[in-house]
Amino acid sequence: MAVESDRAREVGPRGPLGSPTEEGRRFSTAARALAVTMLALFLAALLNAQNIYKSVYNQPEGTQREVALALAGPLREVSMALRLDRPRAWVESATGREHATIDTEIVLPPPLPTETTPVTATGKSALPTGERTPSPPSREESEKVAFTPRNKMRLWIAGDSLVITPGYAVYRVLGRNDAVETVGDVDGRVATGLTRPDVFNWFRHVTEQVEKRTIHTVVFCFGGNDDHDLMTGLPEGTSLDGFGGPKWVKEYRRRVGGMMDIVNRAGGFVVWLSLPVTDDAAQSRRWRLLNRAALAEAQRRAGKVAYVDMYGLLSKDGEFASYLRNPDGELEQVRAPDGVHLERAGGDIVAKEVARQVRRVYDFSSWRNQ
Amino acid sequence: VLFPTATFAIFFLIVLPLSWLLMPRVHRWRPFIIGASFVFYSWWDWRFIVLLAGSILWNQLMAVRVHQAVGQRARQKALLWLAVGGNLAVLGYFKYYDFFVSSTENLATLVGLDIPLDVRTVILPVGISFYTFMGISYIVDVYRGDTEPTTLEKFAVYLSFFPHLVAGPIVRPNELIPQIETPRSPRRVDTSRAFYLIAAGLFKKVVISSYLAGHIVDEVFANPDQYSSLEILIAVYTDIAIGIALLLGFTFPQNFDSPYAAVSIQDFWRRWHMTLSRWLRDYLYIPLGGSRRGVAITYRNLLLTMLLGGLWHGAGWTFVAWGLIHGTALCAERFWRERHGTKPEESFTWVDYFWRRLATFHVVCFAWIFFRSETFGVAWDMITGLFTRWGQPSPLVTGPVLLAIAVGIGSQYLPPRVPRAILAVFSRLNVVAQAAVLAVALMVTQALGSQDVAPFIYFRF
Repeated sequence: MAVESDRAREVGPRGPLGSPTEEGRRFSTAARALAVTMLALFLAALLNAQNIYKSVYNQPEGTQREVALALAGPLREVSMALRLDRPRAWVESATGREHATIDTEIVLPPPLPTETTPVTATGKSALPTGERTPSPPSREESEKVAFTPRNKMRLWIAGDSLVITPGYAVYRVLGRNDAVETVGDVDGRVATGLTRPDVFNWFRHVTEQVEKRTIHTVVFCFGGNDDHDLMTGLPEGTSLDGFGGPKWVKEYRRRVGGMMDIVNRAGGFVVWLSLPVTDDAAQSRRWRLLNRAALAEAQRRAGKVAYVDMYGLLSKDGEFASYLRNPDGELEQVRAPDGVHLERAGGDIVAKEVARQVRRVYDFSSWRNQ
Repeated sequence: VLFPTATFAIFFLIVLPLSWLLMPRVHRWRPFIIGASFVFYSWWDWRFIVLLAGSILWNQLMAVRVHQAVGQRARQKALLWLAVGGNLAVLGYFKYYDFFVSSTENLATLVGLDIPLDVRTVILPVGISFYTFMGISYIVDVYRGDTEPTTLEKFAVYLSFFPHLVAGPIVRPNELIPQIETPRSPRRVDTSRAFYLIAAGLFKKVVISSYLAGHIVDEVFANPDQYSSLEILIAVYTDIAIGIALLLGFTFPQNFDSPYAAVSIQDFWRRWHMTLSRWLRDYLYIPLGGSRRGVAITYRNLLLTMLLGGLWHGAGWTFVAWGLIHGTALCAERFWRERHGTKPEESFTWVDYFWRRLATFHVVCFAWIFFRSETFGVAWDMITGLFTRWGQPSPLVTGPVLLAIAVGIGSQYLPPRVPRAILAVFSRLNVVAQAAVLAVALMVTQALGSQDVAPFIYFRF
């Protein structure tokens, strides 16, 4: 009965199909709407097959990725056979956008000889006992490379999404100095890292950037997406144990050190931001492991790399804190609601420390006295 | 689940045919769509489906109680306050807890008191502002006698229906519940309008809004002391929601109507987030007394409504400032009209249109500075920059940025007959041709879109 009464009350006339609306459009049937939707999405999938394949390839390891690859692979083959991947390539070429390629080649320079200058330990640190935050040795004023408004220090900031907020804060703090020039926007790329060059090849990108532009200081922050087992772009014959295992850490340190060397080889100074404490204790533990790897590589390059302990700077008694007091005693929200990223005030705290570290090496103030 | 994602496309491809298959037996369709909506909501964080279910149960229970108390004015009013208070308490906790606590603590510090309060960041459940307002409108409409309580099942569909759940529009009970009660006709689906809204919404969101956010807005607001230019374009997310609802056979009210073509701030609020504007009018401004209690009370009501409207958009004093600017502008316009009368729009010359639109646009953009700024310091830097940094280079104002701005603003002035004619032609194409047009539109949108389409909320790192 209920069914019959439901059917009897169906809204709208059951007249001939395609009856027009008051604005001249024709109505359609639900079946036709469904057919158009499904066919449109299928055609769109073929036209975007290359990018779909890359997105699937970039997913974290697991069954979902395997299943998706099994579907996206043939889709890409069909698209290429029918040359349906061409229109998107034309649009991307015409607008100067990057094509979806999977590039896992990692080319790293040999490290520079290590300086023998001692590493000083400064700043508060939330790292486990025995680990200290190294600063570059503060050079005598006369030893510092001096920059002026006519010979500016060129500053570039790059990394995963965690670099974005502190990166802008560094630009605010240092960028207002007439002897400092920022190189491009903060190059923060969401969901990237050093373990998955297939997602975004930072090694190639940084090499190209330092070759193309003159850069004196680079602020890096990596690792937010690196706390998992899978690494692509491994040297031939290399096998890994799981995340945090000796082989994994050795390969990760090679990559971190390699990033520092790319900049050092081009004459640049690196400021490496550690990963911050998060509201997830397990994640914070994993990130501390990554921080230890970066810290060790920074210590090996004392004088050329400064390590800024974002973990300690943004914690309260070693624990996660959404709010911290500023120097005026006011509470400020320093962490984003996701418990991972930084709010503007958190970025400002980090930026002050970055500026302090850069000033230990470079002089961009004395020109005012001349 | 966000609309412009592959996950949503798969979800919708499953829900759309099942919805139409079950539609003739609407008593089976309703549990199905409630289940689908809860799956949709739980994709973000499954724990918050308890909150959504709680909101449904609370509002339905209280609506029935309010209705049963007809004739007992005091009791009915008390139940209304309890129901509305319950809704606002939940919204207040999740959305405003840390804002109120940190503001209180800072105020205490300012006057020399040391009151350590429990400041913590509370996760804001997606869509809570929208479904809380819809719940309140249901209760108030029952109280006013504008509608009667429906069944729990129908109310659950009304509140949780996934097209409007995350970002509106704020649909009223008498707009949606009658549509839920009877099966939608499978022979009268306005697909051409639906596809147009979805495709245009995706293009605005993925290409224009994301491009401008990533290439100029985010950086300018991060470094306000270094830039002097500004443009904001808010994504018209609800267009997609309206299009999706149309494909399922449901009609939602229009939410945006070329707001940057407004000739006054009052006109702007008739065109901008229209379902929120009328909610504020009907459930806040009019209950406060509207314009019926004298000039001073009218101005107070306008200001109060816009201040609270500002706070609805976000928990921060800059949002309150945004509301204050709009409230002040509305008061000023009203004052002017009362003193000098109103020129009917039919008699506007192009000069009238030009300067009115120009002035309105600038007031709106000025207010956006506060809306987008995280602190008053940032807003102040932006404003001083507008007046002091003329002639400085603007490296972010590139050709593509100007083009995106031009397309965004130009679309506001497109005569309605143009999309109407395009849709009439599109609706007469065969299935394959329609699908091909849509596929190319999707491909172009994806190719031109930002490569990191997550500028507002970081779902990943």
